[in-house]
Amino acid sequence: MTATLERHAPEPRTGPPALDVRGVSKVFGSGEDAVVALDGVDLSVAPGEFVCLLGASGCGKSTLLNLVAGLDRPTSGTVETTAARPAVMFQEAALLPWLDAGRNVELPLRLAGIGRAQRRERARELLALVRLEGQAAKRPHELSGGMRQRVALARALAAATGLGGEGKSREEAGVLLMDEPFGALDAITRDVLQAELLRVWEATGTTVLFVTHDVRESVRLAERVVLLSSRPGRVVREWATSTADDAEELHGDITGELREVISAHGR
Amino acid sequence: MAADSTTTTAATAATTDDDAVDLGRGLDALDTPTEQRTPLWKRLLTGVVPPIVAVVLFVVVWQILWASAIWPEFKLPSPEAVFGTIGTDVADGRALSIIWTSISRAVLGFLLAVVIATPIGLLVASVPLVRSAIGPVLTGLQSLPSVAWVPAAVLWFGLNDQTIYFVVLMGAVPSIANGLVSGIEQVPPLLPRVGFAMGASRSQSARLIMLPAALPGFLGGLKQGWAFAWRSLMAAEIIATSPSLGFGLGAYLNEGQALSDMPSVMAAIILILIVGIGVELLFFRPAELRVLRARGLGTGP
Repeated sequence: MTATLERHAPEPRTGPPALDVRGVSKVFGSGEDAVVALDGVDLSVAPGEFVCLLGASGCGKSTLLNLVAGLDRPTSGTVETTAARPAVMFQEAALLPWLDAGRNVELPLRLAGIGRAQRRERARELLALVRLEGQAAKRPHELSGGMRQRVALARALAAATGLGGEGKSREEAGVLLMDEPFGALDAITRDVLQAELLRVWEATGTTVLFVTHDVRESVRLAERVVLLSSRPGRVVREWATSTADDAEELHGDITGELREVISAHGR
Repeated sequence: MAADSTTTTAATAATTDDDAVDLGRGLDALDTPTEQRTPLWKRLLTGVVPPIVAVVLFVVVWQILWASAIWPEFKLPSPEAVFGTIGTDVADGRALSIIWTSISRAVLGFLLAVVIATPIGLLVASVPLVRSAIGPVLTGLQSLPSVAWVPAAVLWFGLNDQTIYFVVLMGAVPSIANGLVSGIEQVPPLLPRVGFAMGASRSQSARLIMLPAALPGFLGGLKQGWAFAWRSLMAAEIIATSPSLGFGLGAYLNEGQALSDMPSVMAAIILILIVGIGVELLFFRPAELRVLRARGLGTGP
């Protein structure tokens, strides 16, 4: 698993999508207080693709992520994933404070009934992948915020890919759902972790659906940026970052559109 | 694609992979919280010395008050007389048998209370209907002094061990159950969500996530439950005395009063205190510190 920061043009992806969201609506509450969080959202993510869901607060991007994760049910529409269970990462690392880093990473494997020796070996592998080799015995409170978030990434990868192994196809590489995972970190740590995430994504071929409100982050990370409107959340536009010649221009485009979506609420 | 955008970010510095690794390592090194462990002698100095000094001061004040003879001897005996009573009781083995009678009851009652309170706590915490039905009762019982149960228990069970254990249970069960409930309540809601997202079943989530997460609160409940068990036992032993009940610390205290033997009364109070504090210091404090420290929550010595 060699890691480089150089981006190659995405290979053409075939086969069924790793994630397929069809006509999904989500309404919270009922009657007059009902809030339509999502309205007829269609989204399809190819295996191995990196997609950012971009939107202002209240656009239902986290709601959509929860629906895909199976943490909540849509009011109407369907969510299909090839992965048995997509792994989720939140803004907080949400590590179990009584377990050391290694056992936190092992937890999804333990829940899946995988034996001690195997899961320990896999946790060691994954911690090395996120550059935390030798830190397995540390408790969460002994780690920095950035390191905790990397343990959470390793744990999510364990959940998404199980015991993993070389030569797995993209379909088996799992689906990773990330809900503003770097939102609580300082700028430079966030920057390093974005690079790490890209490296890990390229090394594992995992499908990533990444929620953010940061345009720059979405342009840097994703192959495809999907903009959601707010209340109700609808897909406004998508951009493929690979076809844009100038990242700054793309950034400007997306920011303009996002501002337009937000100001529509002020009128 | 996004390679272009990285040139506009701070990652420009990370032109090569090695630089990125160094940057990451540097951040890890700088941001890792440093834990300062106070050396043993310092912890002993700050943890053990102050209470000893306080006790010595207390005895000195007592000695001065006794020497100034404000109160008659039968009201305020000298420290020497009281510790002398404890000394002779310990020497002839009487103290040990008295303490053993009480401690064995308290421990058995406490363990019984744990066995009863744990399922009640789990039920109250996890079933909303049960919670709204008996949650307030549980909290109410906690503020009801368990001595209040002694007359009822004597009438129900007569003067025997059942009465004693009943009063101990009524004292300890609500505390332990409430401790477990509040422990479970204080679990951050994100933890069970993460567990579910990782594919935990209901029982796995309870066993591997909720219960360990609730452990600090549960331990707090156990600690309070022990204090209540010990208190209730003393109350029961003082009020319900009978030859058939054996001779515990409460009965010893009661006998001192009956004989107007102030040194015995004070000796009994001191022994009751020592046992209560001793169990807390020997068992509950270390367990609590261990659990809290493992989670980075430990404070103090």
